[in-house]
Amino acid sequence: MLTVKHLAKSYDGEKKSLTDVSFSVRPGEVTVIIGPSGAGKTTILRSINQLIRDDDGEILFDSTDMRQLNRSQLRRARTRIGMIFQNYNLIEPLTAIENVLHGCLGTKSNLAGMFSIYSADEKQEALKLLEKVGLRDFAYQQCRNLSGGQEQRVGIARALMQHPKIILCDEPIASLDPKSTITVMDILRNLATAEGISVLINLHQVDIARHYADHVIGINNGQVVFDDATSALTDVAVTNIYRKDANQEGSLMYEL
Amino acid sequence: MIKPDNPVTLPTQAPTGPHFSIPLRFRDRRRVTILLTLMVLSVITLSTLPLMMPTDFKLSEAVVSFLENIKIMFLQPSLTNTSFMSLLIALGQSILLAFLTTLIGSVIAFFFALASTRRLAPTALILGIQSFMAVIRAIPTVLWVLIYSVVFGLGANAAVIGITFHSVAYLTKVYADSMDELSPDIIDTMQAMGLKKGAIIRQAVIPYLIPSYLSWTFIRFEINFADAIAVGAAAGAGGIGYQLFMSSSFYFNFHEVGVMVYLIMAFAIVLEVISYRLRMMTNSH
Ligand SMILES: Nc1ncnc2c1ncn2[C@@H]1O[C@H](COP(=O)(O)OP(=O)(O)O)[C@@H](O)[C@H]1O
Ligand SMILES: [Mg+2]
Repeated sequence: MLTVKHLAKSYDGEKKSLTDVSFSVRPGEVTVIIGPSGAGKTTILRSINQLIRDDDGEILFDSTDMRQLNRSQLRRARTRIGMIFQNYNLIEPLTAIENVLHGCLGTKSNLAGMFSIYSADEKQEALKLLEKVGLRDFAYQQCRNLSGGQEQRVGIARALMQHPKIILCDEPIASLDPKSTITVMDILRNLATAEGISVLINLHQVDIARHYADHVIGINNGQVVFDDATSALTDVAVTNIYRKDANQEGSLMYEL
Repeated sequence: MIKPDNPVTLPTQAPTGPHFSIPLRFRDRRRVTILLTLMVLSVITLSTLPLMMPTDFKLSEAVVSFLENIKIMFLQPSLTNTSFMSLLIALGQSILLAFLTTLIGSVIAFFFALASTRRLAPTALILGIQSFMAVIRAIPTVLWVLIYSVVFGLGANAAVIGITFHSVAYLTKVYADSMDELSPDIIDTMQAMGLKKGAIIRQAVIPYLIPSYLSWTFIRFEINFADAIAVGAAAGAGGIGYQLFMSSSFYFNFHEVGVMVYLIMAFAIVLEVISYRLRMMTNSH
């Protein structure tokens, strides 16, 4: 499904944010990336859909290398990759259903995007997806009036509208309260189990990773230091993932 | 949790000593320069004031005749040469001039803003457009109208084009600034779903832009109304400005000037009410 090989990235040409990162993600599995702040989790995730242009390596999505695509090929490949963000990144002045419908615009014409032209089937599907995440009654609410947990669920519905093969989640629960956290994680878990979608999640919380993940990847200082089934994630392994290297800046540990 | 090697040690006691010796602002060269400049300007102003007075100038008489004219304008407004209807039509002309120039200007400026915002455009294009617009803005609207009247002759055409020209430069800047404030994450998110540029602008940029777009465009309308009056007098573009010019500088009929000033003030109040309503509407969204 997704295989990352020897990925490398430096933002400033000096300090390496990623050195030789390799791992793969299987369909129907929840894969969680854990590691201290500044380890490179966001950089990995954003390299997969090439929001960040990395320096070296291979990113095989459906056996095509995302790094070799031209602009329009990349745009088309992105339509099948969903993404969920810590800050939800919804268009706040628009309604929930309008935001969900954005998910299908990638495969439609520019004209459809400019005049918000959606077929009856698409609108029907958007409503069904909102129902699925428990927000059918909020379809016509402006997103700025929704709570954090509700916004994140709209974000998930929007990603599902893309008919994604994989969903990338960058700290999806970092801004949520415990109850919303469980709701959101349950939905993500269910997408993998019931629909066979690959779910790749950056997380801070080890206990959540243990509970929801099939597979865990530990990142420290831009390198993979753990890559195994969740059952192998012992306390010793966790300490190792979060250890502080001599060449790492201490201040990074206190970043949010 | 991992601790840093050198934890920051906070002082356990507040620094002692007299509080007033601690400055609240950093004393830098800029503040000294500003202060010196203001002082020099004050000295120059005070020393030139007596020199500016004409030799046969009598302050008391001047004040009396000034108050006399003010009294005629505001307490005895009446019409002799022109009908009230024709003044209303002239006011309508000025309003339409302001409306037309704002409308055309805002549409053109929107596209220039898209091409010169950090969120969507390449740096070279941003620099090019923004510096070009800055040059246009630096020259006042009335001057642009006069420049264009060289080409089109004095009159309404030069006024429309000149005022529009300056409006485009002004609105491009403020629209682009509003777009710059949009979070880059929003654009990233839309790109991550594979949306095309037109869709991103329509679905993500415009919804966030609408409130500031409305309020800036309205402010520009007020500016253009003031300019339309000035230009009516200066470039013979018609409207209430032209009537004002004729009554005050040609017929010296301050009774009529009074009527026109009241008319313009009435419209200014209407504008104020509309802009208040508009703000309420966009805020409640
Ligand atoms: N836009 C950027 N410019 C420069 N350096 C960056 C940028 N984004 C991240 N970095 C650096 O790359 C490293 C990895 O960051 P990131 O991927 O955000 O880590 P994480 O998501 O695990 O907290 C950090 O050292 C960070 O300072
Ligand atoms: Mg991160």
